[in-house]
Amino acid sequence: MNMSVVGTSVKRTDTLGKVTGQAMYAGDLILPGMLHGKIKRSTVAHAKIKRIDAGKALALPGVKAVLTYENVPRVLHYGSPHPRSASVTKDQYILDNKVRYWGEGVAAVAATMEEIAEEALDLIDVEYEELPAAFTVEEALRPGAPLIHETGPGANLVLDPVVVIRGDVARGFAEADCISEGEYEMGRPTPAYMEPNVCVCRWDGDGKLTVWLSTQTAFMVRGILAEVLGLPLRSVRVLVDHMGGGFGAKQDLFQHEFLCALLAQQSKRPVRMEFSRKETFLGGRSRHPGKVWLKQGFKKDGTITARQARITLNSGAYGSHGPGVTSVGTAALTSLYRCDNVHLEGRCVYTNTPIAGAFRGYGVVQTYYALDVQMDEAAERLGMDPADLKLKNAVREGDIAPSGHPVEGHGLEDCIRRGTEETRWHELRRQARDQAGPVRRGWGMGCEMHGSSAYPGIKEQGNAIVKMNEDGTVTLLTGAGGLGTGAHTALAQIVAEELGVRFEDVSVVHGDTDVVPWDIGAFASHTTFMVGRAAQMAAAEVKKQLLDRAADRLEAAAGDLEIRDGVISVRGVSGYKITVHEAVGPQKGIPAAHLVGSGTYHPTKSYSFAAHFVQVKVDTETGQIEVENVIPIHEIGKVIHPIAAAGQIEGGIQQGIGHMLTEDYLVDLSNGRSLNPSFVDYKMPLSMDMPPIKTIILETAPSAGGPFGAKGVGEDSIIAIGPAIANAVHDAIGVRFRHYPITPEQVLQALREKNDGSSSADRRQAS
Amino acid sequence: MKHLIPLMLNGEARELAVEPYRSLLDTLRNEAGLSGTKKGCDVGDCGACTVILDGKPVNSCLVLAAEVRNCEIVTIEGLQPAPDRLHPLQENFMKYGGAQCGFCTPGVIMMAKALLDENPNPTEDEIRFAIAGNICRCTGYSKIIDAIRATASDLADRAEETAR
Repeated sequence: MNMSVVGTSVKRTDTLGKVTGQAMYAGDLILPGMLHGKIKRSTVAHAKIKRIDAGKALALPGVKAVLTYENVPRVLHYGSPHPRSASVTKDQYILDNKVRYWGEGVAAVAATMEEIAEEALDLIDVEYEELPAAFTVEEALRPGAPLIHETGPGANLVLDPVVVIRGDVARGFAEADCISEGEYEMGRPTPAYMEPNVCVCRWDGDGKLTVWLSTQTAFMVRGILAEVLGLPLRSVRVLVDHMGGGFGAKQDLFQHEFLCALLAQQSKRPVRMEFSRKETFLGGRSRHPGKVWLKQGFKKDGTITARQARITLNSGAYGSHGPGVTSVGTAALTSLYRCDNVHLEGRCVYTNTPIAGAFRGYGVVQTYYALDVQMDEAAERLGMDPADLKLKNAVREGDIAPSGHPVEGHGLEDCIRRGTEETRWHELRRQARDQAGPVRRGWGMGCEMHGSSAYPGIKEQGNAIVKMNEDGTVTLLTGAGGLGTGAHTALAQIVAEELGVRFEDVSVVHGDTDVVPWDIGAFASHTTFMVGRAAQMAAAEVKKQLLDRAADRLEAAAGDLEIRDGVISVRGVSGYKITVHEAVGPQKGIPAAHLVGSGTYHPTKSYSFAAHFVQVKVDTETGQIEVENVIPIHEIGKVIHPIAAAGQIEGGIQQGIGHMLTEDYLVDLSNGRSLNPSFVDYKMPLSMDMPPIKTIILETAPSAGGPFGAKGVGEDSIIAIGPAIANAVHDAIGVRFRHYPITPEQVLQALREKNDGSSSADRRQAS
Repeated sequence: MKHLIPLMLNGEARELAVEPYRSLLDTLRNEAGLSGTKKGCDVGDCGACTVILDGKPVNSCLVLAAEVRNCEIVTIEGLQPAPDRLHPLQENFMKYGGAQCGFCTPGVIMMAKALLDENPNPTEDEIRFAIAGNICRCTGYSKIIDAIRATASDLADRAEETAR
């Protein structure tokens, strides 16, 4: 198909405002009479609130409202309200008479100035009755452990264990020639989006609440606010224009949405509440730390005969996305590398630590780290090249994917093949290494697959409305959020392509729950795939109406007409044409046509694939690991906007490098206190740390469901980079790390142990 | 008590009323109505609030407004040579995909401007060093560096044309 807009890196609809400083983020809003809200946070990790006294705070001049658990509605609610979904947990109150982690909000204040609000927080007197706490999964699962929640299945489980069984693992292991087994441990990286959580709330005279918010899920926030505050949906309006990143975490509610709304209601003035960076760490959402015990059986030729895994994730103090992350991460181990016999168990456990939630890669980062590192270990034992072993077992067309759907195309095999060619992998791996100097280099590769929707965990739908204006320009109404991915641009490209008009003639209206069609939220790598398809359907409907109208004027059947660059002509006949503007616009005595189309798309699932190849440099004297080169190969179906797609890939790699080498949000295991809630102490890869990335995108396995064959890309990019780095470190120094992050101290320690081991072995030989 | 601080802000003489403890960042955003400069951390760790103060890039969260009496400040809103024209950095950040969520973008662009003002032909290492204090969590930096490099080359071409 010859396309003029799709597949081109058109000028994004959102970037002019961003490069000129005109783009409005929620925190940029200043309303007349606006107050400043602040949250008081707990200084203990697990306690009952015996007494809370806000009297002095209320008496402070400038303080207009104070909230504690005693004067807010007590409604048990979901932390992240996906509709009709089993993927989230109902275990939160706006404010509770109990605290479950260090830094949890216990009270809120609105005052005329931020400084007064802060002073007022200090005047709120809280008396805690401390409870025994559990800071690790092991402590929380011990018999007699302190119970963190009264709801749920009990025993500190967020949900009943997720069990996935296919085939017969006992038989599979019996057939194996060799067994690989190990435990893999994951740290606690956090999304660290640049824009701290922020909202502004205002109540109209008629009891309607307007919320300006940085969220990926405006309609979900509307729903839960309405439910908890006892309002009909028409009385809650959520507005999101631009937002400064979310990476999955901004699907949740963070207490401040409710508190800000209630402070505004109580004070009868607009209230703005913005987290500090420290609060964004404390009250935010991290990835789930955890452990994966994994055992696989292999035939001598590399065929996998069985796979068994126990996944244990640390949810922190609340369930948030724990159920979804556990289900998706566990089910992911059914695939990537083919295996008929699997037995997988996933658990998610409450602890008195900061809350883990949704984060790009949603459980799969953790489980595929274990799987892909173990494939490398197995390759070594089998005497095979790891890329060859992975290619041999790569998921392929018709295989049943984790979602239960047959895989479309041979995306993973294509990625591995292209990557080995591009890197001249086999030559590289065979090359003799300089093992004399202090600096060692190595190459590694990792693979992944990720679905372009949350199906079957959530039965999603994408919606869109397309209107053609009387001058032939087009307006797309979408509820899809704009995290900064370029999704709105991609949607406009799809509409322009379908309608045959110029990209510049399509404008996008978004971010107002009173105006745009309902949307489930921007997550699960699904916006371009799912909402894109809905937008294409809506545009097709408008196109049909338009061609019907043009048919009379061109004295031809609508079916014989085509639209290109805003001109309607009879296919194969030159000369006979009118512009879209002429076809839709008013004519003598006849008003302009009212052309509106709507589209709703219920996706199932399409998978995207990637193989990441990396080169690392390990300094054996300092323990420093440096990623020198990354060559990511991604198969994502039809690419709508090449630069935006590459941007997703490169940004995910940056976060993935951070996961592996430096990023770990730490908790003091003696008292639950967060140890590094700042950008100085939570280390992310910055401009000096980032290697060159040579992004290669394949379009070899387009989706039948996605618009023009497109699939998702947002989450894929963060998954394969992790095991690729760990495998490259092993290639460089011969040490196998089964955890992340891998720190310089650990590298030095491991090298010392390795050298001691070999020297003692040498001694044994000598004697 | 507020004090009146006279300054040149984006080429315009202004007087801003500020408390002695107020940061330049909050003053720009809340008093001067310039919300393009972003607050990512408020403690000098992220660079989102970078502005140019008397020709040098600074984290405006670490400068007190009271310190900028009679100083010259350029923010992202002052970068356009004319209302209908963009600075080449702005053009290239759009063209090369240097902005994703856009929250770090004003700070990165101002830092890049300060770099190019001082060193019109930076190497890649010099670019990476210059923006080392600007956290971007979306791009992996590749496309930011592409945009800055392209701008250096555009500006050199322009200078050559002018010289001819």
